[in-house]
Order: sequence, then C-alpha cells, then structure tokens
Amino acid sequence: MKRSESPRRSRNRDTSTLTLRLWEFAGNGLLNLFIWITLVVYLFPLSYMLITSVKTSAQMRDSKSPIWPARAVTFNYNGTALLVYKVPTPSGVQHWALEQPHITYSLFVDPAKPQAGLIRWDGYWGSLTLVYLPSVTLENFVTLWQTFNYPNLLRNTLFVIALGEIGVLFSSIMVAYGFARFRIPGGKFLFFLLIGTIMIPDSITLVPTFVLFGRVLNWTGTFYPLLVPQFFGSAIYIFLLRQNFKTIPRDLDEAAMLDGAGPLRTLVSVILPQSIPTVVTVALLHFFNAWNELKMASLYLGVRPDLQTIAFSTQTTQSVGTTTEGLQAAALLLMLIPLVVLFLSQRFFMQDMVIANVEK
Amino acid sequence: MNFIVVRRAHRKRAVKSVKRLSLRKYSARMGFMLILPWILGFLLLKAFPILAALWYSFTNFHMLQPDQIQFIGLQNYITFFNDRRAINSLIRSLNYFITTVPIEMIAALLLAAVFASERLRLKRILRTLFFMPSIIPAVAISIIVSGLLNRDSGWLNQLILRPLNLQNVLGRNTFPIVLALWTIGPGFLIMLSAMLNVPREIYEAARVDGAGPLARFVLITLPMISPAVFFSLVINMISSFGGVALLDRGLPYSRSLSPMESYISSQLFSGSYNLGYASALAWVMFIVVMLITLALFFSTRYWVQFPEEEDNEEI
Repeated sequence: MKRSESPRRSRNRDTSTLTLRLWEFAGNGLLNLFIWITLVVYLFPLSYMLITSVKTSAQMRDSKSPIWPARAVTFNYNGTALLVYKVPTPSGVQHWALEQPHITYSLFVDPAKPQAGLIRWDGYWGSLTLVYLPSVTLENFVTLWQTFNYPNLLRNTLFVIALGEIGVLFSSIMVAYGFARFRIPGGKFLFFLLIGTIMIPDSITLVPTFVLFGRVLNWTGTFYPLLVPQFFGSAIYIFLLRQNFKTIPRDLDEAAMLDGAGPLRTLVSVILPQSIPTVVTVALLHFFNAWNELKMASLYLGVRPDLQTIAFSTQTTQSVGTTTEGLQAAALLLMLIPLVVLFLSQRFFMQDMVIANVEK
Repeated sequence: MNFIVVRRAHRKRAVKSVKRLSLRKYSARMGFMLILPWILGFLLLKAFPILAALWYSFTNFHMLQPDQIQFIGLQNYITFFNDRRAINSLIRSLNYFITTVPIEMIAALLLAAVFASERLRLKRILRTLFFMPSIIPAVAISIIVSGLLNRDSGWLNQLILRPLNLQNVLGRNTFPIVLALWTIGPGFLIMLSAMLNVPREIYEAARVDGAGPLARFVLITLPMISPAVFFSLVINMISSFGGVALLDRGLPYSRSLSPMESYISSQLFSGSYNLGYASALAWVMFIVVMLITLALFFSTRYWVQFPEEEDNEEI
C-alpha cells in the first residue's frame, strides 16, 4: 500500500506545483507586459515631437497629409511638376498626375505611359487624395541653426548652470551639515522655518525681488539674478541633504574628530564620501532645473539677446506667431536632447530618496 | 579620605561640565556659521520681500511714477474683491490644485505599488523611463498636447476617433490632466523608496494572519509610507501653485500653471506696472496657500505616522 501510494502523491504534488508555477509565470508575464504597454502609451506623446520636427512646412499646412513625415508625389510632365492623385477608375485605383483641373471633369496623365496623352476623368478632383511618399526633412533644424546662435546659447546656459551648481552645492551642503550635526539654539525652529519657505509661493516675493534686482541693484541684463540666489542655498536641497546626513552614523565623525579633524575636514572626508548618491541627485536636480529655468531668465535676460539661455530662446519660438509647429518641435527637441541624454546616462538620480522623517 | 574622594568627584564633574559647556558653545557657534548662508538668504530673499510686498500692498506704488508713492490703506484689497478677473483666476488656481494633485498622487501611488512587487523585471530601465517625462519642459508638453488632441488635425482624432466614427469629446481640461500624469516622477520615486523600506517581516506576519494583497496594501503599506505620501503631497501642491519644488517645468510667470500667478504678473508687466495692486494680489495668494499648507500640516496628526526622531542632542 505504502509503496504504491507515495509515488502517486509525489506525482500529484509535482503537477500541482507545476501548474502553480505556470500560473505564477503567466501572472508575472502579464504584469510585465502590462507595465510595458503602459510605458509605451505613457511615452507615446513624445513621438509627436520627433515626427513633427522632421516634417516639412508644406506638409504641416496640408491638412490631408498623413501623420508620418511625407511629401506629395509629383510627376514631371512637359517641364511642369504635376501632383499625383489616387484616381478611382473602373479598372481599379490608378495613380495619375493631374494636368487640367476642372469642376465636373479633369484631365490626367498616367506617369507610367505619358506618351499616351491626357486621360479624361469625370468627377471633382478636389475629392481625390494625393499620393504620398515617406520623406524626412532636416529643414527645420537648418532654419533654427541659422536663426539662433546655438553655440552662444549653449555657452550661456552651461555658464549659468556651472556657476549656480557650485554656489548651490557649496552652500546647501554647508547648511545641511550645520542642521544635521550641530546643536544650534533654536535649531528646530529654524529648520521648521526652512521647510516653511519651500511652501511660499513665488508670486509673493516676485514684486520686491524684481524691485531689488531690477531697480535698486540694476541687475537687468546680467546673470546675477540667476546666480546670486544660488549662493544662499536652496531649501529643498538642504532638506534632502540633511535627511541623508542624519542617516550616517555619528561614530564615524566622532572617530575623525578624535583623530584631530575639524568639522570641515570631517564633512569632506567622512560625510560627503558616504552621501555621494544624494549629492549627485541634488546636482542633477539643479542641472535639470537650471536648464529649464524661465522665470528669472524671462524677467531679467529679455533685453540682452546675447545672454539668453537655451530655454529662453526655445520659448520665443512659441511666442512668435509665424513659426510653424515643425519649427517649434525641432527647437524643443534640440533643447531636450542634452537633458534626456544626461538623464538616461546616469545611474544615481534619486536612487534612494529616503525621507526618514518629515518633521512638522 | 571619604571627603577627598567626594571632592575629587565633584571637581571631575565640574571639569566635565565646563568642557561640555564650551563644547556646546563651540557647537552652537560652528553650527550657526554653517547655516549662516541660508539665514542670510532667508532674510534677504524671503522675509524682507514678503514684508516689503505687504507694505507695497497698502500703497499705490506704480513703477512708472515711483516718486508719487502714497499710502492708500486697504484700497488695493477692496479693488481685488471687485475685480472679477482676479477672483476668477484665484478660483481657477484652486481648481487646478484640486484636480491635478489627486491625479498625480493616485497615479504615482499605483505605479509605486506595481514597482514594489518582486515580479517586475528590468525595474531600473522602467523607472528611468517612467520618470523621464517629469523633466520635460512644459512648453514642450503644451505643443505635444495640442498636436495630439487638436479637434481637427490632432493625432487622436486622425488615428482613433475618425476611423471609428466617434465624436471628439475632448475639452480644454485635457492639458492639465496630461501634465499631471507626466508629473508623477518625484512622488513615484519618493513613495517607491518608502515602500521598499517597509520591513518584509510585517508583510509575512500579515500573510500568516490571512491578510490578502489589498488588505496588506491598505493596512500596512499605506500607514508605513504615510510620511512619504505627505512629502509627495506637499511637493505636488507647491508645483500646482506654480512654484518649483523638486523639478522646474520652465514656465515664466506670465504662463504659470497657476492662473493667479500669471494674473499677478500681467498686472505687473503688461503695460500697467502696478506694483501696489500686484503685491496685494500676491498677498491674497500667499494667505490662501499658507492656509492650505497649515490645514495640510494640521491634518497630518490624523493620518501620518511620523517615525520617532532619534535623540541626537549629544554631540
């Protein structure tokens, strides 16, 4: 009895675990599939920009043109370029070039047999659709390159980012270290104040800072309004860094202090090496923000075209009424590519944004 | 003998306390020096402008006639209550906050929940790609949305609605919703990392007690990550009022997501340069946002479980 039962039971168990595994496998597959489909839908709108940027302005004006970048097919007949239409005839749809458009009938040429002469077709030619061929153009990029001084825009943007980065990292790390490791009288209140400033809407400080920077200090047309505030630290970066510094065990800095290291030495040789992911996250955040920044740039750099940043000039392509959508898309693409390449090529960004405690 | 020991101990303690006092003083001084940049920045770029704006709001300060500045009391605020466009902008700002923030929060939370599952592969690539739209400037999004959703030539119309003979039902509100769905990045990452930090044993214990996946999510995950939920809520709130919390969408004041902010800047820059009235409007906005913030912080005592702050008084 025993002998005959045990193999059967084990076989049973085998099949049941097998089906369970199969189910699990199918479930995992479905979950992964679902996420990838969601991702494709989520990112699909971006393709609009890519495709629009390589369309010709003629296609943008042609409302019957297909979605993909295309040009209408033409046929050269006796020295003139004729548009080729899809013409329904008793013997199927023919691709014929329109030679003489009339209201009730039109005369076509068959591009395959031009020597056969004109073909009469009854009907209104306006109801016919054109024949399109896929065609990609770089004319938008060429126009942009000729209109805007891209090397100069890039130089301005990178200059603002580099100096701002130095300022904001230096000051935010200092302040975060101060809040994380030192007993400051009223420190808790000051930190609460710091968190509070994150929530203050920009519009409240807009008028007085505009008066201060623009009228009192006369900084209109300079980089100072974009750079100087960075040297006072940024509240949200201070918050992120401080939370990270607090997770580093104190024993390490105490050991360093016993070895005779001062507070700054401890910061540089103990704390910072341990918080590289957070520091890189903050640096990247600042890069993305400074790259996209428009509030300050549009207030203070509008009068100096030679100082404008890439975001500013990209935005001007939208405010000018005559620019086509293809041109706008190309400008945005040029602005986006460096940003996206940087974003995709790094591995630190927000790796572990541990919000240990968000105090009141 | 006894006496000497006691005195020695006393002296030791005294020396220790002097040392500790000086250390404490040193620590306070050093800490204060370190946070000085922020204090200066706070006074110069936050406190002073806020108070200056309060002062301007009671005057008829006009940029073109700075010498004719006069104290006019509450006149600017009375103007605000009779200015239908201003009140309308404020209502639209609040409306934007109320519609977009829940969408952002729920989408980010659901995505984070899927990512917390061990069944998902290639998480790193997926995470990066899902985050990517959050760094794309808003000007790009506005042309993408208009290109996709335009009533006649939009892709949605051409690709899906027209072939299926469906009516275009898209309203003007689609841009904020698409923008909200493309802004989930920071909230998603914050909540995801909080979810991954929840100890596994708690889930195991709940599973043994018979809690299903939904019950585990609602009863364990949500309370455990409530500080992260709160933090992302705050971040989304700030950006819905036109501010920059973590990532800048690159919108000038005049095209701010918050209609109130663009109305303020229109009072300021498009012709009128009426600094006094613009300041009054800014103060109204400030008070409204601060009230919402206070309400949010006050509500935390009912739904956010803050972890105990470890005692680090000793240095």
